[in-house]
Amino acid sequence: MVPGDIIRLEDVTAGYVVIKQGIKSIAREKMVVLRNINLRIKDGERVVIIGESGSGKTTLLRVILGLLKPFNGRVFVIGKDIYSLKWRERVKVLRQIGYVSQDPYKALNPSVKVGTILEEPLEALGISERGSRVKDILRLVNLPENVLNMYPMELSGGMRQRVLIARAIIHDPEVLILDEPTSALDVSMQAQIVNLINEIHRKLELAVLTVTHDLGVAQYLADRAVVLYRGEIIEEGDIDSIIKNPRNEYTRLLVSSY
Amino acid sequence: MVLAVKAVDLKIGYMDEEEKIYWAVRGVSFQVSESEIYCIVGESGCGKSTIGNAIAGILPSHAVTSGKLYIYDKKVIDNEKMDYTGIRGRVVSYIPQNPGTSLNPYETIEEQFYHVLSSVYGYDKRKSVETARRYLAMVELDPDKVLDYYPHELSGGMQQRAAISIALATGARIIVADEPTSSLDAHLRLQLIRLMRKLRDTVRLSLILITHDLVSAGRICDTIAVMYAGKIVEEGRGSLLLTEPLHPYTQMLVDAVPILGLKKPLKSIPGEPPQVGGEISWCVFRERCPVAFEKCGIHPPELYIMERKVSCWRYMNHGAR
Amino acid sequence: MNSIEANIRGAAYLVRKQFRKMRFKTGLAIVLVITILALLSPIIAPFPEEGLGYIPENAVAKARLPPNPVNIFGTDTRGRDLFSRVLFGAGSALVEILIVVLTSLSIGIIIGVSAAYFKGVVEHVLNYLIELFVSVPAIIIALALRLAIGPGLYVVILGLITTWWSWYARITYIYARSIVEMDYVVLARLSGLNSLKIIYRHVLRNTIPPVLVQAVTDMGSVLLEATSINFIGLGVPLNSPEWGVIMLEGLPVITIAPWITMFPGIFLLITALGFSLIGDSLREELDPRMRRRWRLWF
Repeated sequence: MVPGDIIRLEDVTAGYVVIKQGIKSIAREKMVVLRNINLRIKDGERVVIIGESGSGKTTLLRVILGLLKPFNGRVFVIGKDIYSLKWRERVKVLRQIGYVSQDPYKALNPSVKVGTILEEPLEALGISERGSRVKDILRLVNLPENVLNMYPMELSGGMRQRVLIARAIIHDPEVLILDEPTSALDVSMQAQIVNLINEIHRKLELAVLTVTHDLGVAQYLADRAVVLYRGEIIEEGDIDSIIKNPRNEYTRLLVSSY
Repeated sequence: MVLAVKAVDLKIGYMDEEEKIYWAVRGVSFQVSESEIYCIVGESGCGKSTIGNAIAGILPSHAVTSGKLYIYDKKVIDNEKMDYTGIRGRVVSYIPQNPGTSLNPYETIEEQFYHVLSSVYGYDKRKSVETARRYLAMVELDPDKVLDYYPHELSGGMQQRAAISIALATGARIIVADEPTSSLDAHLRLQLIRLMRKLRDTVRLSLILITHDLVSAGRICDTIAVMYAGKIVEEGRGSLLLTEPLHPYTQMLVDAVPILGLKKPLKSIPGEPPQVGGEISWCVFRERCPVAFEKCGIHPPELYIMERKVSCWRYMNHGAR
Repeated sequence: MNSIEANIRGAAYLVRKQFRKMRFKTGLAIVLVITILALLSPIIAPFPEEGLGYIPENAVAKARLPPNPVNIFGTDTRGRDLFSRVLFGAGSALVEILIVVLTSLSIGIIIGVSAAYFKGVVEHVLNYLIELFVSVPAIIIALALRLAIGPGLYVVILGLITTWWSWYARITYIYARSIVEMDYVVLARLSGLNSLKIIYRHVLRNTIPPVLVQAVTDMGSVLLEATSINFIGLGVPLNSPEWGVIMLEGLPVITIAPWITMFPGIFLLITALGFSLIGDSLREELDPRMRRRWRLWF
């Protein structure tokens, strides 16, 4: 249990520096992708960031994960300003985050057994007694024990997704962050994963941040929703009211074209 | 009614080095008319992409076939033989899942049109640009905003339309599109749906859409065929199939799709979809079917109920063969 | 990255698969035969001292004899049995190949992976070095070494290592670059895992296989280069059991005793071909064919 916010973004403006080579000079141009983002995620809350491609959601995730320093503003994870810390200290704080990336095919090292993949976060923490924890997590995500000896390529898409989720929660983080958890899956597997995420939220009592463009999925995974459009948060609130009464024009477009 | 595509007990499999055959399509029969949008829906591994490839004429060389496939009365698959001369790339065009990948990244759109048109019809540069403009307009793209650009300079939606217009320019009467909506955002999906309907009506195009996106399929398609493990388990007119599904699998698929504004519990289908494999004589859905009974030991025949085709023993008494 | 998929079923499976291909079997057969000849040369060679380079007593009488029942390949300019010399030359050839390839692979992989993983200044500096050495022909280095330390096998081996390491470093760097951006590496770094473990488990395991295949294919070229350096006299001294040198010795008398240059030349080509066939067969496995099969599972 952590008092206050698990994650807090204060007035964050972020983007990339593009190097443009002119004839006589080299200019460094700032490409701003996110503007004035204010975001808070409380302990145990389920938040969904709704964003389509080009909205800046990938950049936002990188900022939260400590991979991209913003031009302006601060990012707090469990109360610590992560970009003011040195890498070693930052890693210690970032351990409180469990991250599931978008592409289940690229996120697993194909030449490593699933067992090793799952144990890795515990290994990094220096925990030597890992067996029982691994078994517990497998049960939670509904994977049979024999996957431990298999390689990622031998698993189906749905199973791979579950391995990713298992790896993200095995070290008992305070918040689980998922990037488009259902986009690469079939409809029936989507349902499985959505139900699983909610079950994990209940059983492990952690906060969940999901980034998705799918309103239908967002419906099931959010207590609170935030709509991201072109780098700005244009609407925020309870997911059901956003769907019933979208205030912003873009949100209305999203709802009507579902 | 002219039949654009007709499949009769079509089976397609792949042979590996050990001469074992893995069947992806286990015997399907269907028809697609001219000016019709036909959707093949199913989960990954069900064989829908394979059928798409078969119609487009791009099955790999180690594919094994049986049964018959006709495209506008030409027999392109006759048991083990395949003959797509005059059909592949002319009558049928294929648009793969990521439209950007079907476009040559090193050529502008104008050059790509020229490339294709000069080899198929022998057009010169001027004629090909003229034709390009016409077809780009058909897909609602502004030629001046597109012709001089390279594919990566266009958005995903525009790339897709450009790919479609090049396909049309070759004179295709049938377009097979593999997961056309998956890489698109929601409102782009709607636009694409509208475009496809327009093409169907104006150019009398037959569109074969392969997708796992039930919602889009329900919106666009005249006919939907639901596939599972290499067989068509249900086939019927558009959205009716989704609002009143007959086959247990269709029912479960529909149950798993979220509906906006209605928080019904999401029911997933227990188990995993089957992979390509050996011959199966029992009902392909038996293992995951909640209402399977003794008769399901033999694969059910196709039964016709009103305008629907279902492959399920539960309807034995209701339907006629 | 299909070499990765090959990894899963293990190198053993991959190799077993090769045995169905004629190309691989031929290549392997050639290499094995040459290796056995090399290993057994002290026993098989009819005139082992001559094989090593010693000049026999009745040298003048025995010089430049064409192939005959006693000397099946004939004799060289100093009366030594050519067959024995060629046999011992096989040993040199294999030693040259093995040491050069193994050493330059090791150095190259370490440097390539370091450049890709540590980025920043390290990346720039290492890349600069790589590009610098890649463009230097081994012969120049060999010349410099020869002037500095005099004749010997070291000249050839060192000269080749100095240039080949950069080739493997570059290939490794290119592969490693994309691996390092993969989610699983990023995740491992975020979880605070020890850098060395990350490099071993995630980067090396996925980068080494394709580089290794390249190395096997290269063995033929390494042999040719090494032999060339000896052939122009920059490497081992005359009279050594080395194919290039034998061919050099045979050059002045090529019109009257062509067999002296010919036989080592033939062996050289066949050996290079053998390695090439093996490498080619392996490379084919790691690309389009693997891709086709695994698609079924996606």
